Amino acid sequence: MTLGIPSSAIHIQPAGPAALPTAPRTPSLVTIHPVVLFSILDHYLRRTDSQDRVIGTLLGTRSESDVIEVKSSFAVLHSETSEQVAVDMDYHKAMYELHHKVNPREVIVGWYSTGSNLNTFSALIQNFYSQEIAPYPAIHVTLNTGVDTNEKAGVTAYVSSPVGVFPKPENCVFTPVPTELKFHDAERSGLDLLTETAASPSSTSVQPTTDFEILEKSIGSVSAMLDRVLSYVRAVIAGEIKGDAAVGKYLMDMLGASTEDLEKGGFNASLQDTLMFSYLANLVRSQAEVSSRLALVTS
Amino acid sequence: MAATSMAAALAASLPAPAAAPAPVAPSYEAIPASMAKVVDIEAEIPLTCVQLDAMVVTKILKHARESNSTTAHGLLLGLDLDGTLEVSNSFPLPHHVSDEDDKSAKSVARYQASMLRSLKEVQADDSVVGFYQAITLGAFFNQTLLDTQAIHQEKLRHGGIIIVHDLSQTARGNASFRAFRLTSAFLDAYKKNNFSAARHEVALKVRTNPLLSSFLGVLTEPTRSETTDAPPAAAATSALPPSYGVLDLGTSGVTRNLEQIIEGIDNYRTEEGNLAYLLRQIARERSKADNHVAKRQEENATRIAQGLAPLPEEDVNRLFKIPPEPSRLESMLLLGQVDAYAKTLSSTASTGLVKMYAAKASFGN
Repeated sequence: MTLGIPSSAIHIQPAGPAALPTAPRTPSLVTIHPVVLFSILDHYLRRTDSQDRVIGTLLGTRSESDVIEVKSSFAVLHSETSEQVAVDMDYHKAMYELHHKVNPREVIVGWYSTGSNLNTFSALIQNFYSQEIAPYPAIHVTLNTGVDTNEKAGVTAYVSSPVGVFPKPENCVFTPVPTELKFHDAERSGLDLLTETAASPSSTSVQPTTDFEILEKSIGSVSAMLDRVLSYVRAVIAGEIKGDAAVGKYLMDMLGASTEDLEKGGFNASLQDTLMFSYLANLVRSQAEVSSRLALVTS
Repeated sequence: MAATSMAAALAASLPAPAAAPAPVAPSYEAIPASMAKVVDIEAEIPLTCVQLDAMVVTKILKHARESNSTTAHGLLLGLDLDGTLEVSNSFPLPHHVSDEDDKSAKSVARYQASMLRSLKEVQADDSVVGFYQAITLGAFFNQTLLDTQAIHQEKLRHGGIIIVHDLSQTARGNASFRAFRLTSAFLDAYKKNNFSAARHEVALKVRTNPLLSSFLGVLTEPTRSETTDAPPAAAATSALPPSYGVLDLGTSGVTRNLEQIIEGIDNYRTEEGNLAYLLRQIARERSKADNHVAKRQEENATRIAQGLAPLPEEDVNRLFKIPPEPSRLESMLLLGQVDAYAKTLSSTASTGLVKMYAAKASFGN
């Protein structure tokens, strides 16, 4: 599940902890929670006219195995002119403390900005964040909103390293780090809901939906896929299309799933269980109804 | 894609023609004067619909899952426009252990105030319109929730709404968000401390703004791998592949559901026992008082017959303390919980049936 534009860049890793046992390892992977992306997009929508890009702080957790999980973010005030850049440090600190109260496990891991150009100011801000979270390296995530033409929307994460004979804050090299979208399985359905909403013409969807509607939709799409596979297989058998061996292998794996359990009476046993649940649930509901009516009678 | 069609759709649905572009425009503060018709300062237009922004959806999802219990709650920020409440942002509230603790209540208030101030500085909406609460298995009636909402209902415009997010349903593949407000009948009853009605559900819509829609579109779009000889699974990767978690046949959640039903019924029984005890006590006290009054009347009758001044009858209230009628709110809420659990169970069972027959149809013969 990689994010952003695929590139052929090789992600070079430094020699590892053996070379510098005291220094923390450079992150080899950055995972981003969807809420971060959505917050950044919202912040971008709410920028003032004079602002070209928006920046903010990324919060998350660092695991032992040099993976940085970005879990939330907040907007930070900043102003940029051609000569100078100013970031509201007090705001950043106050906001961090507020976030820390709710979720103490999340610490500052870096910062984000919209747009994908890295300039001197990026280096300066990066320098500030690096100092803030030393000794850990700060990460910088750029999110291209895809608003400008000829630019694809996407997310890239960078780590920085100083460059030059005399390290100066405005000089640094940004090295891209692999980035992934990561969320918990339980949140999956929420994202499905959003993608569905985004795909609908009015960008809205009505809630709440019942379990049945969702089930119906999934079954519908599965059956549509089966139809596609069936038509493909028929075409191959009829000799219209040359069969792809890889596709055939996948189909074999997919459809050859074992159903032994279902056939050996498993179906009936679990059918009985399910019917019992249904019966019990209805029984409880009617009892509750009777009980509430009785309560009204006595009082 | 949606920028123009969105505006057109909104223009068709709003009475004031000039009002249309405002929700689509990136800045919310630039609302023209002609919005006067749809913006009601007195909150006179009743709420008919609640619209949740995608960011709020993910924020609630994340908060609810990470705090792994039903303690996740937070505030909703937004604006109402012509009967639609647009929830555009939210933030979680810190979890406090005891509600009674005065100090923690104060710190929460302070937290809330500074959070709102901070959000205002980055041009986010900063008016509180309600709050959200994470629940499991469909049971969202409980005393503290009602208390909080009753407090909010008085303070906020339109009385504030509550968004209820069902964790267990989300885990099963149906992201569940529902919006509620307290009925005014309930509020009156709540103030008088006896009641019969509860909540009123408000229609809820989820909206993604055009920018987000296009971004999500990019995420779900499969991208071809650069390397040509990659296996098919790796060749077309997408950040958000389609999932079929709904079709899972497992019934793992049912045990928990049954346990909760039993727990709910036990609680209800205890509560009923308490109520019955209190009622018996009331009856006992009342009969004592009645006996006393009857005795006094008899005595007075004989005293009048003897030509003496009758003794006062009003001291009964002083002598016998009849306890007040106990509140039935708790037991009603518990019943509501049991009912909700049972409802979830029955819907799980019915979808389970459908899935089982589907599985049998495809493999059985």
